[in-house]
Amino acid sequence: MTRIHVPFMTRLVTWLRLFAVQGSWNYEILLGNGIGFCAEPALRLLPGGRGGDKYRRALARQSRYFNAHPYLAAVAVGALTRAELEEVDPAKIERFRTALAGPLGSVGDRLVWSGWLPLCSLLALGAYGVGGSAGLVVALFLIVYNVGHVALRAWGLKVGFSQGTEVAKSLSTPLLRRSPEWIDRAGALLAGIAVPTAVERAVGIGGEVSAVAIGAVLIGGVVLARIPNTSVGWRLALGILSIIVLYAVLA
Amino acid sequence: MSFLEVLPIALLGAVCGLDFVSFPQAMISRPIVGATAGGAILGSPSAGLLIGVVLELLALDTRPFGASRYPEWGTAGVTGGAVFASVGAGRPGGLAVAAFVSLVTAMLSGSSMVLLRKLIGARAAVTRELIEAGSERAVVGLQLFGLTADLLRGFILTLLAVALAVPLARGMVEIWGLPATFSNAAVIGLAGAVAGGSLWKFFTAGTRTGWLFLAGLVIGLGFVAVQ
Amino acid sequence: MLHRIDDRLIHGQVVVGWGRPLGVGFIALVDDTVAASDWEQELYRMGVPPEMTLYFADVATAEREHPKWESDSRPGIVLTPDIGTMARLAASVPVTEVNLGGIHHAPGRTQRLQYVFLTPEEEQALRDLAERGVKIFAQDVPGGKPVELGDLL
Repeated sequence: MTRIHVPFMTRLVTWLRLFAVQGSWNYEILLGNGIGFCAEPALRLLPGGRGGDKYRRALARQSRYFNAHPYLAAVAVGALTRAELEEVDPAKIERFRTALAGPLGSVGDRLVWSGWLPLCSLLALGAYGVGGSAGLVVALFLIVYNVGHVALRAWGLKVGFSQGTEVAKSLSTPLLRRSPEWIDRAGALLAGIAVPTAVERAVGIGGEVSAVAIGAVLIGGVVLARIPNTSVGWRLALGILSIIVLYAVLA
Repeated sequence: MSFLEVLPIALLGAVCGLDFVSFPQAMISRPIVGATAGGAILGSPSAGLLIGVVLELLALDTRPFGASRYPEWGTAGVTGGAVFASVGAGRPGGLAVAAFVSLVTAMLSGSSMVLLRKLIGARAAVTRELIEAGSERAVVGLQLFGLTADLLRGFILTLLAVALAVPLARGMVEIWGLPATFSNAAVIGLAGAVAGGSLWKFFTAGTRTGWLFLAGLVIGLGFVAVQ
Repeated sequence: MLHRIDDRLIHGQVVVGWGRPLGVGFIALVDDTVAASDWEQELYRMGVPPEMTLYFADVATAEREHPKWESDSRPGIVLTPDIGTMARLAASVPVTEVNLGGIHHAPGRTQRLQYVFLTPEEEQALRDLAERGVKIFAQDVPGGKPVELGDLL
């Protein structure tokens, strides 16, 4: 295998395109076309160049069905591009592509959607709860969250490009495997602090009304925690809110 | 509201709606960001932040994976912030009406996203042969089509939501028949309970972090008591 | 123990979506090709949190190991990539319920749900399974609506 040099500008363009990897997400090929879109600039380095036979076949292959977490898709784009540039056997690329998708989705869901994102959201709510101003709360959330977000995309592309089909080794580092657990713990602690303080400040009167509101939150929370399905809370809230609004307007 | 007043809000809604799935997923689509910005455009960032906190608590219960249909918080947050700021944050019922409008927007916006993704799928099916032939124009074109359509979706949705909801909300607040303290506390308490229940379930299921949640709760309640 | 057909095998819906609320302790991935491929196993292993055990098995091994998984005190998921593999497994071990979690677009398949696309042969295979008394339902995540086979086809 020959080591292929990918120029800095190509890496940069690929990384920028990664922010739009889900732009054409659909129910048939999910973010498949997005992978092709992100891999495209580097595929121009194949013998025959842009529009050449190898380029076209690789682009078609990379634009088929693919599913992954959008941030971790950076790893896939890097590793698959590297495999294409090394002209690895297409059948092996297809299997590698299939095997890469699910695990990257799983890592991303644990690390980001149910880890980093709620943690940062709770951090913002906590900052509000202890008296942060609008600017501070929003800036804190966006900066902290995106330091992690942007770094994850850059790191993913880097390990993908450098490891190619060997990328699993970099992903099984203790840091990456253990961090969801640590994020979970920090999130659990922060959740306990952020929810009551944010509710108290939002109610904003202090004294008995706040105490009643927080008591209601605790009791309501315990009741809601007994509902087995997740993601029904906002619908329930909409239902109760509709009743309150109807009553207040008609009464 | 005149078109020129709604325009910047609709543009903000377009950007936040696009961020939710398509680009750049920097979480400016979170309601705590969108609502605060929506309120800020109408001169009241603190009103935007208050409704943003309520919606953010509710958003903690929805995670963007798995469910085939989920509320879209980008346009909803912006709409909620703008509506709340425009009816006047001090008015009884303002928060309840803004939260109601915002949740309806989140639901409709979620459905519009399903339609958009079907539209992109249909377009992908038409160009499938070109993509299978490795055409750069087809691959890049489909991506740009999706991004543009999503931006338009957020723009139109926010424009309609704000244009319809602001007069409606003003009218509702005029005839609001509950005391301000009660209706505000009810809305905030409801959001807090949804968040609390969801987080408790999440942190006790599978992993053993429930005791950390309880420890946090002791600290949080202690802080509230001292206040 | 949940029996699930999902062409994505290990991914977020399985590990977080079902794994967390059920408190899943192990996943048995039944796939002849993966069972014979070290580098694929390495990839799938990284998608599973450290506190979950991941077993790899071809169908023959799965038939032998199935009683052991069944008697495991921890909740678990038996995962196959396609209907054929699940049907072969169900032919020799007791399977009462099968969850269709994701079979995606491919040439020849018709869309049945947002996450289920089937060829006529696959539909027949599902009907055959149902006739043998296996309850088949499509559901991507615990929060989603379960769809019975009768409503699916």
